[in-house]
This record gives sequence, structure tokens and C-alpha cells, in this order.
Amino acid sequence: MIKWNFLKELGNISEHDQAALDGLRKRVLGTGVVVVFFVAIILLRLWFLQIHKGEEYKSRAENNRVRIREVAPPRGDILDRNGKELVTNRPSFNVVLVREDSNDIDGLLKRLSVVLKEDVSVLWERIRDAESKQRHIPVRLKENLSWDTLAYLETHNKDFPGVRIEVFPSRFYHYGDMAAHVIGYLGEISKNELEETDTDFYRGGDQVGKMGLEKLREKELRGEKGNSSSEVNARGFEQQLLTHVEPVPGNEVRLTLDIDLQKVAEESMDADERSGALVAMEVKTGRVLVLASTPRLHLADFEGGISGKNWSALLDNPKHPLINKALQAMYPPGSTYKMVTALAGLAKGVITKDTTFFCPGHIDFGNRQYNCWKHGGHGTVNLKRAISESCDVYFYQVGMRLGVDALAEYANKLGLGLKTQVELENEKSGLIPTKEWKKKKYGVKWQDGETLSLAIGQGFNLITPLQLCQMTVILANGGKRYVPQLIESVTDADGNVLESFTPKLAGELQENEKKYLTLIREGMVEVIQGARGTARVARIEGINMGGKTGSAQVVRLEQYKHLQEENIPYKYRDHALFICFAPAEDPEIAVTVVVEHGLHGGSSAAPVAKAVMQKYFANRIAVDQIRKAVTPQ
Amino acid sequence: MFCVDRRFFVNFDWVLLSLLFMVCGMAFLNLYSATYPPLGGMPPYLKQCYLLLMGVACIIFLISFDYKELQLWNYPIYIVTIVLLALVIFVGNSAGGAQRWINLGFFQLQPSEPAKLMMVITLASYYSRKEVANGYSIKDLITPIILMAVPFILILIQPDLGTALMFVIIFISMTVFAKLRWSSYIILGLSGIALAVVGWFFVLKPYQKQRVETLLHPVKDSMGEGYQILQSKIAVGSGGLFGRGYMEGTQGHLHFLPERHTDFAFSVWCEEWGFAGSFFFLAVYFFMLFWGLHVAMSARDRFGLFLAFGVVALIFWQAVINLLMILGFLPVVGIPLPLFSYGGSSLLTTLLGMGILMNVRMRRFQTESTLESCEL
Repeated sequence: MIKWNFLKELGNISEHDQAALDGLRKRVLGTGVVVVFFVAIILLRLWFLQIHKGEEYKSRAENNRVRIREVAPPRGDILDRNGKELVTNRPSFNVVLVREDSNDIDGLLKRLSVVLKEDVSVLWERIRDAESKQRHIPVRLKENLSWDTLAYLETHNKDFPGVRIEVFPSRFYHYGDMAAHVIGYLGEISKNELEETDTDFYRGGDQVGKMGLEKLREKELRGEKGNSSSEVNARGFEQQLLTHVEPVPGNEVRLTLDIDLQKVAEESMDADERSGALVAMEVKTGRVLVLASTPRLHLADFEGGISGKNWSALLDNPKHPLINKALQAMYPPGSTYKMVTALAGLAKGVITKDTTFFCPGHIDFGNRQYNCWKHGGHGTVNLKRAISESCDVYFYQVGMRLGVDALAEYANKLGLGLKTQVELENEKSGLIPTKEWKKKKYGVKWQDGETLSLAIGQGFNLITPLQLCQMTVILANGGKRYVPQLIESVTDADGNVLESFTPKLAGELQENEKKYLTLIREGMVEVIQGARGTARVARIEGINMGGKTGSAQVVRLEQYKHLQEENIPYKYRDHALFICFAPAEDPEIAVTVVVEHGLHGGSSAAPVAKAVMQKYFANRIAVDQIRKAVTPQ
Repeated sequence: MFCVDRRFFVNFDWVLLSLLFMVCGMAFLNLYSATYPPLGGMPPYLKQCYLLLMGVACIIFLISFDYKELQLWNYPIYIVTIVLLALVIFVGNSAGGAQRWINLGFFQLQPSEPAKLMMVITLASYYSRKEVANGYSIKDLITPIILMAVPFILILIQPDLGTALMFVIIFISMTVFAKLRWSSYIILGLSGIALAVVGWFFVLKPYQKQRVETLLHPVKDSMGEGYQILQSKIAVGSGGLFGRGYMEGTQGHLHFLPERHTDFAFSVWCEEWGFAGSFFFLAVYFFMLFWGLHVAMSARDRFGLFLAFGVVALIFWQAVINLLMILGFLPVVGIPLPLFSYGGSSLLTTLLGMGILMNVRMRRFQTESTLESCEL
């Protein structure tokens, strides 16, 4: 009843209301003018388009049977420093469907599924994914057709209206997965990438570099797209090619890598399923000759999008193949860090060439005992012997006198704790602790005992294998910190050199510091060439080498102390490190190896470096042997 | 509640119904051509049949009660619609980067469509209740602005700029119709300009700016937005005086024309039926709208008048924007031609609006006495 009252009340229209209502009615009449105005515009426009310009548009509709297609440019080749082809293109044949050219997609897909040996639902899935795209844009149904399928489709193309074969340049890896982390891989451009990059160039479905130099040098490698327009008849078949603009091939990128050396390095790493990294650099230029990270990536898995199964296998692999361990993984430097301690000690005047310390096998500091790896002790040692026999006590003494900040200063001068600026993604900067750093990070004061651990490369210190190699380069070349570079040259399709290698100096030691390097190098030569050196296994006949071993503690667990090394669980074993340069007289190459959980630098890492050195000096070794053979003793 | 007596048939708006039949018939004919051959699944013309049946049910429902009840139910309707619009942002199905649909199983509901009608009801209800002698001041407009802004922002977030702007257009149409003071015009105009400037620089997405820009330089991008408008113009122009014949249009059937059964449906009609056919269609269509204005004038009270006017304005502006877009005068904004473009939510909403018009027309003489006779 209440509602009815409400309605009744509204139903009663007073005199005043009636007047207002009449006013509004007049306004309705007024709005009629607006309607007439727009109707007039629309009709005039229709008349203009259909009657006045009708003939013109009719002929345009007749001619409007031109279809424009993009032609993908061949991507630039990637070569090694000697011009050996690492990555080139080979055509991949894909089936695409232009939906609007097909009257009966359902039937078509059923027939195609037989030819392609693919389930109909899989093909439908591809079509559905492209639902939002305009219907004249081709949808890719299957990649990498075999020759048989290709030939069948080409000869029976009348049975498959709307189906076309697309020739798509795809990558061919001449050396398999060698240098996979450096080269990287391609993948379909993602939605985000489409929005971020210049949309003038890319369209959905394009392949772009997703990792490594393929990604970083995308702009140079991709080239310029061409296009072709052709006429289609009333049923949508292409009749005749009208215009064709050739694509411009991408630029050729030549790397500084030596693929033969790279191969030796990776195969030696593989030999015992070593997981880790190997870096080799030219001492006098900073060219990177080898940059290897194992286990390797399988580049073929990434082609056309990696499967979920393969991807999760990569993620779950305890040896982390996705990480480029040469620059994205950090390790304690172990005894290789003693070079820093030695240089800092000499430069700060804490020790001289002849300073000796007595090593009883341990040193007491605070209320703790710091052991030398040799429990019996080394006796009285000078710097050269301390390096060659890796005497921990000697360096405890030097570190104690230097303090943490002086160590950090020289670590930085040798490139540790700083990004090397190599042209690869996600480089880690490592960690070189200072007093200030610890205060900030943990809010606790630096303990002097920690300096002792630091001096022999344990403790907070973290480095990347690439940094370690850069450090070796600095030691070997007399103090020049070169940026590790990977690009030898970039050349366009016409042969114009757009970019060529020039060494980049990131820093240099001062003159008074440089002179100490000779002494350190002598110690390092003893490590390999000396009678009691820790890396005598790396010795190569005919080539004098300098080096240093290291092993980095992963954990200090009492429960494993009593175990034989081979009985310690893999993931708790020490990392093995080895750095070296050669020839000792006038160094050319520096090699760094890190083998994860490899226990000892001498036994696990040094043989890998030796293999690389042997390959590098193969010619000279051979000449040397011949000379020895022909000249009588 | 149902009062089925003789007057129901006498007062029923047979004119509007016939016009509606003619428009829907032409739309159906066109849809069949535009979607031929069907791509598998349920063909769109069959779907359209079901939708039209649902539409008839909607109309019958809407004329079964006095439109006054809409004023009573105004706020519940408003709240339900807002909830649906908010829901679409969280659970909506997306297409082309925008979330616009809620899947009801048998039907993909696009809540922004019924929201337009809800807006008309809300504003009609407000302006009919609040009567001012010398036009509305800015203070009087605060409530309707807020009522408009809530769905406007929710739709802008989806993002669907075209539909969101329809709310502004409905608001302006009905408010100006309700009469403003001069000061209100000036203040609203200035703040409108300020908002548009801010919107251009901070709110519009690059693709939306591109649409406006391609309208200014259509040749620049002949594969994208400019392509669509150009193809539409070619389709319309090639129709000539008598068209290329039903099912004979090459622009539509060779798929040069994009969205040819939805936003660009009328291009297909123009191509196949020529100037003569287009003129006939527009004559029927706009006569229907004029009839709607006639219904508004004959309404028995302010609410009915505002309601009918709002429904006509809603259909009129969508039609004008769609037609100007097809004819190359406006950027591609995704506004359908009501009743003619294929799309369930839009069709049902427009038919509900038609139901409102019929309701207002039917009850133009209704007084207390008829109400009481009804009760018996």
C-alpha cells in the first residue's frame, strides 16, 4: 500500500508542474534541431563518398587486393676471432595460415593435421592464441617442416587455401653449445618487450635475442626488414608480386673468443663433469679468449621457445646451468688472494723482498689458533717461498700488520670487488669487505682475527672468475687493468667496419707499486716451475708458466673434518681455484679456472688450465721439440 | 501487478515497435552477410536470433510495470551496476588488453553497456526530483557529477576510453537539457578543458593517443588504425548509388574491412546497398529516434520525459559517433551502432531502452483512476 501511495502522489500533477513540463517539451523540440544537424552531416558525407567519389572508391576497392607482407632480414653471423663461423642462419620452413583466406578453417585444420602429423587441438590452440590479431596477419601453425612435408604442401597448395610456407631464418650453431652463455639464444618477442622497444620495427612473433650477445647486440644483429606486396584474387590466392624491398642483413659480429681454445676448455671442464668457469684473457689487450661456464646450456632447446619441462629441469639442476658462472657466480678467492696480500704488504712497506717469518704450522691470535695448511709448518719463509708453497702463516703475519682496509684498497686496485664492465648481463661485483662495510651490514665492529682469514682469501671475500682473470692479467702485464672485451669487430653487409677492438684501460697501478709485481711473478713461477711448488702438475715442457692454486672453503663443519675428502658430500667440498699466465718471460695469456667443489686447485683446476695453455702454445711447443730433436745436446 | 486491459493494446506504441522491427531486420540481414561464411561454432546470426528473443522478453518485462517504479528502484540498480563494473576488473575476461566481460556461461556480459542505461535512469530520476526555476547551479550538480564519475572511472580503468566518454556525453546531454545557469556552463567548460589536458598528458595510453593522431595523419600508418578507417571509407564509397549487391561486397568478404560485423557493420551495409540503401536505413533509424523524442514530449510527467529523452540521447550519440567513425570523421573508438552492430550486451541494453520508451508512451494518459482500476 505504501508503494501505491507513492505512485499516486507522483501521479498528481499540479498546475505548476504542468507549466514546467510544457517548458521541457519545448526544449525537446529544440534538441530535434541537433539531431537534424547531425543527420544532415552524415547524409552529406555519405553522398560525398558514395555518389561524388563513388567511382574513385569503386576502383580503389577493385585494386584493394594488394597484400603487404614483411620479409624478415637474415640475422648477422657471429664469428670467432679467427673468422670461424660460430652462429649463422639456416632457413627454417614454417606453415602459416591466413585465416581470412580460408573458408573452412575446421576442415582445413583436419586435413593439415594429417600432413603435419600434429593433433588438431594443437593447431586450434595456435589459432586461438592469435584470436585478437587482425585476420590478415598469418598465424604460425608449425615450425621446422621436414623436406617431405614441405614438398607435399607446395605441390598440393590448391587443397590448402590460406596456408602458406614461411621461410624463416633460424640460427645454426656450428660448434653446438660451445660458448653458449656468451652467445645466448633467441626467442619470440614478449608483450613487455614489444611495449618497451620501438614498435616501428618489431611485431608480435618476431625473434629477438633473449640472452648473451644475441640480446646485447640485438640492434646490430637484427638487420632491417624488407617487405613485399602482392595481388590476391577474389578467393584470396596470391596472383602476382607487385613490389619487393629486399631486407638488409644484420651486421656480422666477430668475437675475441678463440673457439678452438674455448672447445678445449669446455671439453676439459666436461671431462670430470666439473661444474664451474674458465676464463682466458690476452694479457696485453684485455681480449677475452675463452669464457666458459659449465654445465653448458643446450641452445637448441631454446629454439622456438623452451618447453616447460626443459625449463624447470634447468632451474632444478643443482649445478645451475642457467648461471654464467664466469661473472654471475661469486666464490671465496682462497689462496689466490695471497697475491693481493703480497702486493699490499710490499707497497705499504710492511714487508720487503727479504722479510722472513717463521711458520710453525699455526699462529695464535686473540684466543684462537690459526692453522697453516701444512700442519708441520714451513719453517722460516720469505715472500717468494711463501707464495710458491702457499704458506698461510706468512700471510697471516702480513695481513695482521696491514689491516683490513689496506687489503681492500689493493684488492680494488687489482679489480676485485668492482664490476669488470664486460659486455654481458648481470655481472656480479663480488665483495671486498672493509671495516665500514661490516659496521653497515652487520652493525658490529670488525674483529682483527677476521683480517687474518681475509689475508689468505677466506672469510667475507667473494670474487667472480672473470675478476680473478683480470687480476692475473694485471699481475702479468705489469699493472694495467684492462676491461675484458668480447667484441673484435662489427661489420655491416657491405663490408664496412663499424666497430673494431681497441683496448680499454680501466685503471693502472702507480709506478712505485708496479715494481713489486716482478717479485710476485717470480713467486708465481716457482709455484709451477719450482721443485716444491703447489702446481707442478701444470708444468708444460718448453713454456715457463706462473700461477697460483687456491681452495675455497664452502662450509666449516666439524662433522666432516675427520672424513676423507672424497667422503665429504659434494655440496660441502671446497671449491678449487687456479690462476696462471705464460710465458713467464713475457706473458701473453692469463687463464683462470674455478671448479666448484673440486677440492684442490692443484689437482682439480690446474689440469684444465694446462690443457688450454697447451692448446694456445701448441705451435711453439712443437717448434721447440723439433729444435731440440735436431740440435744435438 | 499486471494490468492487461484494452488500453494496453490501444496505448501500446505500435509505431515504435514497427520501426524497431525494420531496424533489427536490416541489422540481421547485414549480419548474415558480414559473417559469411561462418567460422565454426554457433554462427553469429543464430546467436542474434536468441538475443532478439531475449530482447523481446526484456521489452515485455519493462512494459509490464509503471516506469515510475524505476525511480523507486533507482539506487539499488545503481549499486548493482557499480558492483558489476568493479567485478569486471577483478574477474573479467580480457581481450586485446582490456577487461570488459564477465562470463555468465551462456552469455558474455559487458556490464558497461547496461551501465549506460543505468546512468540515464539515475540522471532522469535526479533531475526530475530536483526542480530548479532558473537552471541548475554548480552546487546542484555535485551529486550527479559524482554519480557519473564512479562508473566513468571504473570503465576507464578497464581500459575502455570510448565507453567511458559515453558517460560524459550522456551526462552533458541530460544536464544541458535540464537547463543550467550561465555560471555553471562556464565553470563546467573550463574544468572540462583542464581535465582533457591533464588526461592527454597523464592518463591516455600511447595507443589511444595514436588513434587520435592517425585521424589527423591517416596515411602515416596504413597497416594499423589508419588502415581500418581507410578500408571503411573505401567500402562505403565503393557502394555508389545502388551498392554492389547483397553478399557481393568485396571489401567485407575479402576481409579488408576490420571488425566488419561489429563496429564497422554499417560499412558493409553501405558497400552492399549503396547510397539508396544507406539513405533508407538512416531514414528509418533516425525516424525512430525522432519518434523517441515525440514519446518524450508526450510523457505525462518530468521523470518520464527525462527518461525518454535520455534513452534517445544514449542511442543517438552512439549512432552519431559510430557513423562519423565509419565515414572517417572520428578516430576508432569502439562505439557500436546500437541495434545494428553485433554484440549481445549492447543489443539487450538498447532493447531495454526501447522498452522504457514504450512504457513511457503507453502510460502517457495514466491517472489515478486507471491505477485503481488496475488494482482490481
